[in-house]
Amino acid sequence: MRVLTRVAIALVLGLFVGVHACAGTITVYTALENDEVSLYLAAAHKALPDVHVRVLRLSTGDLAARLVAEAGHPRNDVVWGEALTDMLDPRIAGQLQPLHLANVAHFPSRFRDPAGRWFAPTGYVSALCVNTPALAAAHLPMPHSWRDLTKPIYKGQVVMPDPQSSGTGYMMIAGILHGLGQARGWALLKALSGNVAQYTASGSRPCKLARTGEYPIGVSFAFVAMQAIKQGFPVQMVIPSDHVGYELEASGLMKGARNAADARRFLAWTASSQAAALYRHYKSIVAVSAAPSAGEIHDGLPAHLMQHLEPIDFAASARQRAAVIERWKRDVGH
Amino acid sequence: MNTCTPATRVYRPGTERALGLLGGGLPLLALALFFVYPLLSIGWRSFTVDGAGGPTLANYLRLWSEPGIARAAWHSLTMSGTVTVLALAAGLLLAMLFKRSRVRGRRLMFAVLMLPMLAPSLMQGLGLLFLLGRNGLVHRWTGLDTDIYGFWGLVAANAIYALPQATLIIAAALERTDHRHYDAALTMGASPWRQFLDITLAQSRYGLLAAVFVVFSVTITDFGNAIVLGGPYRVLANEVYDQVAGQMDINMGAAVGMLLLLPALASLLVERSALRRAGTGSEHARPADVRPGRGRDLGLGLGSVVVLAPVLAVFATVVYASLVKLWPYRLELTLAHYHTDLPDGYTPIFTSLKLALLTALAGTVLVFALTLLVRRARPSLARGLHVMATLPAAVPGLVIGIAYLMSFNTGPLADMLYGSLFLMAACNLYHYHAQSYLMLATGMRAVPGALEDAVTCLGGGLLRRLRDVVLPFTAPTVASVFFFLFMQSMVTLSAVVFLVTPELNLASVAVMQLDANGFVSQAAAYATCIVASVAAAALAMRVCATLLARHFQRRTPDVA
Repeated sequence: MRVLTRVAIALVLGLFVGVHACAGTITVYTALENDEVSLYLAAAHKALPDVHVRVLRLSTGDLAARLVAEAGHPRNDVVWGEALTDMLDPRIAGQLQPLHLANVAHFPSRFRDPAGRWFAPTGYVSALCVNTPALAAAHLPMPHSWRDLTKPIYKGQVVMPDPQSSGTGYMMIAGILHGLGQARGWALLKALSGNVAQYTASGSRPCKLARTGEYPIGVSFAFVAMQAIKQGFPVQMVIPSDHVGYELEASGLMKGARNAADARRFLAWTASSQAAALYRHYKSIVAVSAAPSAGEIHDGLPAHLMQHLEPIDFAASARQRAAVIERWKRDVGH
Repeated sequence: MNTCTPATRVYRPGTERALGLLGGGLPLLALALFFVYPLLSIGWRSFTVDGAGGPTLANYLRLWSEPGIARAAWHSLTMSGTVTVLALAAGLLLAMLFKRSRVRGRRLMFAVLMLPMLAPSLMQGLGLLFLLGRNGLVHRWTGLDTDIYGFWGLVAANAIYALPQATLIIAAALERTDHRHYDAALTMGASPWRQFLDITLAQSRYGLLAAVFVVFSVTITDFGNAIVLGGPYRVLANEVYDQVAGQMDINMGAAVGMLLLLPALASLLVERSALRRAGTGSEHARPADVRPGRGRDLGLGLGSVVVLAPVLAVFATVVYASLVKLWPYRLELTLAHYHTDLPDGYTPIFTSLKLALLTALAGTVLVFALTLLVRRARPSLARGLHVMATLPAAVPGLVIGIAYLMSFNTGPLADMLYGSLFLMAACNLYHYHAQSYLMLATGMRAVPGALEDAVTCLGGGLLRRLRDVVLPFTAPTVASVFFFLFMQSMVTLSAVVFLVTPELNLASVAVMQLDANGFVSQAAAYATCIVASVAAAALAMRVCATLLARHFQRRTPDVA
């Protein structure tokens, strides 16, 4: 009887206790999308056949919260493609160790940390998803800039991400404030807010609402707009011509990485030109090949996108986030 | 209470005592370790700020001066109050239909009622959007300017979500009302309406109050619907989400979470004073016979159809949307969305099934043991346990998830528990503990104390008491609790999303990922597959249970 009970307990424990990492295995937390992750990992596996990558995919906000909550005992070796503004939060940045990779050295300076804690091979820009039939049904002209969206004709026709919960929402505001300065920036945000029908919790949601015709205009980022076009929705992508915000997708090595050697090799691969060629399928901003592809230009991405981008100081932007959101809640938000 | 001296004991006292200790100790230990401890540690976080030592009230003071917080709190209260009234009325109607009518097609109606419980919550939001959104089916068919975002959208989604939970608890209360009350009423010539008010409602007030508590609590803590359908109508749950996932301020999120406990604590106090120890069931009680009544059946049947038709419509719309090429623009039928792009395909469904089974099995045993303990405990202890057992309903899933992550990421148990299916099961159980416990506590009130005493007098031990008295009276409720836990574990998202690991990805998380990545039709298809597999699994288990019951009935002589 006793022996049986012990065997049973051992079996149950064996079944439910997690597997432990073995040599050649690295644990990666990422905020990149599932379908792109599959593509990159298949290629990474070919380049590094001896490295087994365990990937946990979470949304940008959930990933940041998880990293902060696990700070006492980090479980991952690598952070891959997390929004830079979140990554620069001292509670996350403090968990990263400097890393100087040859592949990263020739990135343009805005795509890497001089101290080596992070590098960003990719990024994304703010974009409007405009549903053309819905726009026509409401008898509205095509908007081209933030200023256009402040016109009274668009009242109740625009959906935007909420900066309180969405990094996309904050990046849009940061771009405008950076380009216009405090006074004019806040005035524009206030005018814009008068036209907003609702603020959504996630950054991709405005585009999803726009693509099914719930609202004519959704403020999101280029990736989801191009995806909507690819899937066949009657959507046109517009990159605002004035002060477009953008975010970089940063990667880094954890201080307590259990398999730092393989983690380093994996990160070096994500910064390789081989990986950059793949990023072009998904990304509006790629560090090492700055020009968009012909297909992307056809979908509405400006040919000289990099010149359009404000030279945003992400460290300052991350530091100011709490204060900006505070002011946004008081002066602008519903 | 117990006036006899026990005769010769049939069971060895040692075994009996060990069993009693285990049956009482295990649920208490589990409750302390997997609910009280994480709750205390997240509660402690609400009194700290990052980078500064020592406890502080800074978060609460900031909360007080926060611009939108008072309005969000008001929104939360009015919205949850409205949902409670609606879900309670509809739940009572449906419980009457299932337990006190002879309407045909009740099984079918029960299946429809269960839909919100076997589907990932994304499905309700999506369904309501596709149906009543500004470009939804209703608008496209009728040209009406529908706009679901805001108060009424939230009320509709939350009422649909809470309806099965309310119905199950009220049904447990209606399971047994002594038929002699109705006989007496009939002799005195009381009208059916009088009987309903004075006997049915009066006798089931414990269950009704429990349902009020559950509906109100799950509504005020839900953030899934608030995010999808709330639009400009912001509630407190938005605030928790914004603080934790938006600004990584776990301490502030915890403070809002603690704020959400207040209405629950208040209502537990009200409940206590409203229910000064109502007696237990009588040993002569038999379930009230359902007499034929055409007027009653017609009313209940029509009412239930009115309540359930929208529920069915919402879910049918999502299934339909998963089967068309490009919702809402190209409505040619296709199965393409059932070919998922997820790297691990449909395997998360099997992980979830394993998790759900573990949660339901362990959970039912633990909750049953706890309910039994509360029943026999001293009043003061029972009251404390009751509060602890029902409090989980008032903690937002997001807060439970973060609390688990932080409590079991470090510390002596971390190596054993972190990243295990076992921890996820515990998380699910204590996330839905209140509903399970209240269902069983309501059902347990029908067990006649006198019969239990009689068994003890005759020398029967705990096992005997369970087998011959408690279980025969509570079996249907025990089954309800099992299936409730099973279904909720299959589809819940808000807490376990913080516990998934690369190896243990869950079906509900997969649906969320598909939706978040923009593959909404695939998400709808995946959710449909989950509904199908949960329904199939539940059906298979029901059949097994029925066969087993028949088997045992043949073997043991009828005790009654």
